[in-house]
Amino acid sequence: MSLRNLISALVLGLPVLLLLVFGPRGRTEIPAGRTVVVYWEKWTLAEGVAIQRIVNRFNETVGAERGIWVDYTALGDVDKRMLIATAGGDPPDVAGISDRFFPQYAAQSALTPLDALVREFDIDLSGFKPIWLDICRYDDTLFALPSTPFTVALYYNRAHFRAAGLDPDRPPRTTAELNDFAERLTRFDRGDPGDPQDDRIVQLGFTASPSMLGWWHWAWPNFFDGRLWDGRRFALDTDAGRAAYAWMWDYRERVGNRLVLQFEGQQPIIESAQNPFLAGELSMVLQGPWLSAWAARYAPDLDYAVAPFPSVSTQRQHVLASTDFFVIPRNARRPREAMVFLKYMVSQPVLEELNRAHGKVSPFRRPQPAFYEGHVNPFVRVFDEMATSPYAFGSPPMPNWTEAWTETLYMTESIQRGVARPTAALTAAQEKIDVLVAQQERMAARRRTTE
Amino acid sequence: MTRARRDLVAGLLWTAPWWLGFLLLTAGPLAATLYLSFCDYSLLQPPVFTGLENYRQLAVDPTFRKVLVNTVVYAALWIPTMTVLAIGLAILLNRPIRGQAFFRAAIFVPTIVPLVAAGVVWMWLLAPESGLVNELLRRVGVASPPLWLESPRWAMIALVMVSLWFVGTPMVIYLAGLQEIPLTLYEAARLDGASSWGQLRHVTLPGLSPIILFNLVVAIINAWQVFALPYVMWRTRPGPDRATFFYTTYLFENAFTNLKMGYASAMGWVQLLIILGLTGLTFWISRRSVHYVSQ
Repeated sequence: MSLRNLISALVLGLPVLLLLVFGPRGRTEIPAGRTVVVYWEKWTLAEGVAIQRIVNRFNETVGAERGIWVDYTALGDVDKRMLIATAGGDPPDVAGISDRFFPQYAAQSALTPLDALVREFDIDLSGFKPIWLDICRYDDTLFALPSTPFTVALYYNRAHFRAAGLDPDRPPRTTAELNDFAERLTRFDRGDPGDPQDDRIVQLGFTASPSMLGWWHWAWPNFFDGRLWDGRRFALDTDAGRAAYAWMWDYRERVGNRLVLQFEGQQPIIESAQNPFLAGELSMVLQGPWLSAWAARYAPDLDYAVAPFPSVSTQRQHVLASTDFFVIPRNARRPREAMVFLKYMVSQPVLEELNRAHGKVSPFRRPQPAFYEGHVNPFVRVFDEMATSPYAFGSPPMPNWTEAWTETLYMTESIQRGVARPTAALTAAQEKIDVLVAQQERMAARRRTTE
Repeated sequence: MTRARRDLVAGLLWTAPWWLGFLLLTAGPLAATLYLSFCDYSLLQPPVFTGLENYRQLAVDPTFRKVLVNTVVYAALWIPTMTVLAIGLAILLNRPIRGQAFFRAAIFVPTIVPLVAAGVVWMWLLAPESGLVNELLRRVGVASPPLWLESPRWAMIALVMVSLWFVGTPMVIYLAGLQEIPLTLYEAARLDGASSWGQLRHVTLPGLSPIILFNLVVAIINAWQVFALPYVMWRTRPGPDRATFFYTTYLFENAFTNLKMGYASAMGWVQLLIILGLTGLTFWISRRSVHYVSQ
């Protein structure tokens, strides 16, 4: 090698060498003698900072005493990554997954059952509100512990209420009232008086569209006294289902579906000032407690309030409840060390600290007073109390929930786009889901026979 | 060791990274998916052999039929439009016009924009009220411009339109092909009194025919694998009335959301056979109309 080539190689290689010696390290230095518990989560930014702070404290206290080090990693699409790692035989020891995948993973034995471990580690779950533990069970077995639970409620713009002649302290109490209020709150720009094509909506009372904050497209029949899964059948084409989607259809017809679609098609970035509720373009939305944090950031002057989402009758207050989960994947290498960490995490002060930082509710029956002080959501008590409703419901604990989820999304969008009338759409969706459930049962039976 | 054997060993060693990668990362998994297509397999539990069950389900699955039709319609709209547009642009930009380099670059640049970024930008451009496209249409007198992404009738057209944004890649290949056609052929055609249309028909298109064949085959494969643009533009949803729900999207959904790896493998094999069949058909149809310089 000539001198010139040698110098060139050194010049080019020097930055690489410097990076290797002084560059960032992928892993934190782990004190000697600690057992590493690998923890995968989805949280980044402020939520990631909050969990990292708690993990650090665990590592400095309980972890130091018990010789455990929790290695926290935030990942996109953590549910799928956990699944693939579990299938590959190298799962994390703890993972944070969402409710959309939970029943499917539990049904496919991707998760470690926790009942025995909870007893062994003397974890007291009696302080939790029952709904949060119900959601963590599949087939009467506890497969998860709640991490950041939430209910969803009706946010409404008080200024819009006043302008429409409605009482800003009297939100709608039934679904019929909601439609009535929504119509009164909707305002149009009539454009050219001779040309109806020139009309547009400048303020929409309410929309259940998934592209406009109505993210829980499957939930509507529940507000009409329906429950989607009875343990054997996904019941969509029922009285409750028909009432729910007729309610949705009628409202859109009355306002003018083309104009509603035009309004909904604006593709806003939801976590920004473009959010139609924060921008004052949408008067009422079904949303979770995090919307208040966005309001504080992007629309600090917004005059709004929160109330339970109306049900078909005032007699039964249906409440949509959901949570993220802590799970121990099947064949995790250090399940007992993971349980030490989870015991720490689900202790009331720690879990409430996490949920306060995430703007969520307290999973406990009797939240500590400190939980509410300075909580980012001024209406957190409303969300919290809603979780005590005897009519609270979570997503259907069915093994092929992801497929039913997709079919109900397709059905809801077909109705909202005017492609199919509710009765026809419900019948078609029910038939498709019945086939999927039957296929799943047939495959499960065959698998049992083979095993 | 003979020289030929030494050459063979050296050749195999030098190409080892490729063929080892091919065997381990492509051929192996490909063979595995063939077996898995006859199984019920969720990744989490061992595969259970179910014979032709997955293929039987495909035959009666209405969503499968829908994605099949959507993909065929997309291919039927996109491939000819893309081909004509790319050839037209290549011919225009092959002429000595002012700003030739600028126009070539301007048409090629969108192809280096990542698909996801392009999808998001087009989502905003096609928004019914605030989007630039409908704003322009209103200004030229269209009172009620389409709900591009919300209407089953317009969604597919919107997607084809956006896909044409990437016309730069085939255009550059056609441009290179045009420059390979001997000028003497044009001179001879002119001497024989051929008009511009005649020159296009009898010199340019036959001269470009191997390139057209190549681009057609690539386009067929790409059309059957369309995924990222609709996935981004409809925010992972299947589009209005599933109008923009395509073969690969449904395959992905079955594999990684519904955990039906066996079913997805069966879909993969059907897709491979369709692409092979269409490619074979294209070669068969083109055997008399493709002209190589050596011929």
